[in-house]
Amino acid sequence: MGCFNSKVKKQFRGHEDPIALASQTAFSVSEVEALFELFKSISSSVIDDGLISKEEFQLALFKNRKKENLFANRIFDLFDVKQKGLIDFGDFVRGLHVFHPNAAQEEKVNFSFRLYDLDGTGFIERQEVKQMLIALLCESEMKLADETIESILDKTFVEADSNQDGKIDKSEWQIFVSRNPSLLKIMTLPYLRDITTTFPSFVFHSEVDEVAT
Amino acid sequence: MTCAWAESRKRRRITIPEILKDEWFKKDYKPPHFEKDDDVNLDDIDAIFNGSDDHLVTESKEKPASVNAFELISRSKSFNLENLFEKQALVKKETQFTSRSPANEIISKIEETARPLGFSVQKKNYKMKLQGDRTGRKGQLAVATEVFEVAPSLHLVELRKTGGDTLEFHKAHSSLNFSNNLDILRNLNSHLLIGP
Repeated sequence: MGCFNSKVKKQFRGHEDPIALASQTAFSVSEVEALFELFKSISSSVIDDGLISKEEFQLALFKNRKKENLFANRIFDLFDVKQKGLIDFGDFVRGLHVFHPNAAQEEKVNFSFRLYDLDGTGFIERQEVKQMLIALLCESEMKLADETIESILDKTFVEADSNQDGKIDKSEWQIFVSRNPSLLKIMTLPYLRDITTTFPSFVFHSEVDEVAT
Repeated sequence: MTCAWAESRKRRRITIPEILKDEWFKKDYKPPHFEKDDDVNLDDIDAIFNGSDDHLVTESKEKPASVNAFELISRSKSFNLENLFEKQALVKKETQFTSRSPANEIISKIEETARPLGFSVQKKNYKMKLQGDRTGRKGQLAVATEVFEVAPSLHLVELRKTGGDTLEFHKAHSSLNFSNNLDILRNLNSHLLIGP
């Protein structure tokens, strides 16, 4: 048992301990180890420094390192808790944890609120929703007239902004989302429940490989 | 049958769809079973179609469901973190377009186009299930369609592949897309790419 532990520690040197990460998240230790394989592959794709840069994240998500995207930027920023412009392994696992089917609803509600609060003011302003809507339309190559966009925003804010102050605060968001549960669909990735079997395209290194380092 | 296979002139060589129909071939033939996509949640579609329809007088909704800004925003493909786990870019399994036609007209048009292409159509309110009759590369093509209201007289039509090959889905989609305001009816036969 002692030998196994030191081998695992060697592999994870410089990164957070998988056992600790498993205890903080919905992932099992072997799932955290599987995530480490993914993390290694993403974090070494542009610069092999054990950290995921914005460019590497874009490369992994879109298979195109130059592709900038408003929503991907938001997700990256939320994973990058220490605001270093880089995601370390702990950030990666804790970030993905929120999307796990077993993660608490409250965590998902909080994450989605912060996701849409583009400038981090603690409120989702109408202008921010407009910006996101326009970004979505560009992405899907759909065109809508400005007045149509405004009427969609009107309709949304009538429902979500109960005190009608032009912005959605945290508690308004909580109520809005409980009435429209489909809005949280994006916050759950069902396949995270079983990543070790769902993604066979991972290459799992055997312990033998790691001894060489 | 062997002569038909051996026919060297490509024009006259038997095609795979023809083989699949041939009596000799069909004897003792068990078509391969393709797994339905696990990651597509069909609960909402199934719920509509499995619901008790015993009474003939069904209350039909006047208008399709309306979408708010966040529902639209959440359709961004950048929320599909599944891509992080895949080596190649995932081919989208859904597509959408907007239309200014009234919702019930959109539904009828899709149905009118889909049936001659060999799809069986099930519909309820503003949701439809289309099932292809030809066996393509990964079983029968199945498409779930839903019409939403985005703004007065502007509708969003979503087509989601729920079974079959994704490339065939994209080809079928161009036949079902009315955003150019003209029915572009293409024979689905020519779209089925049966590889070796």
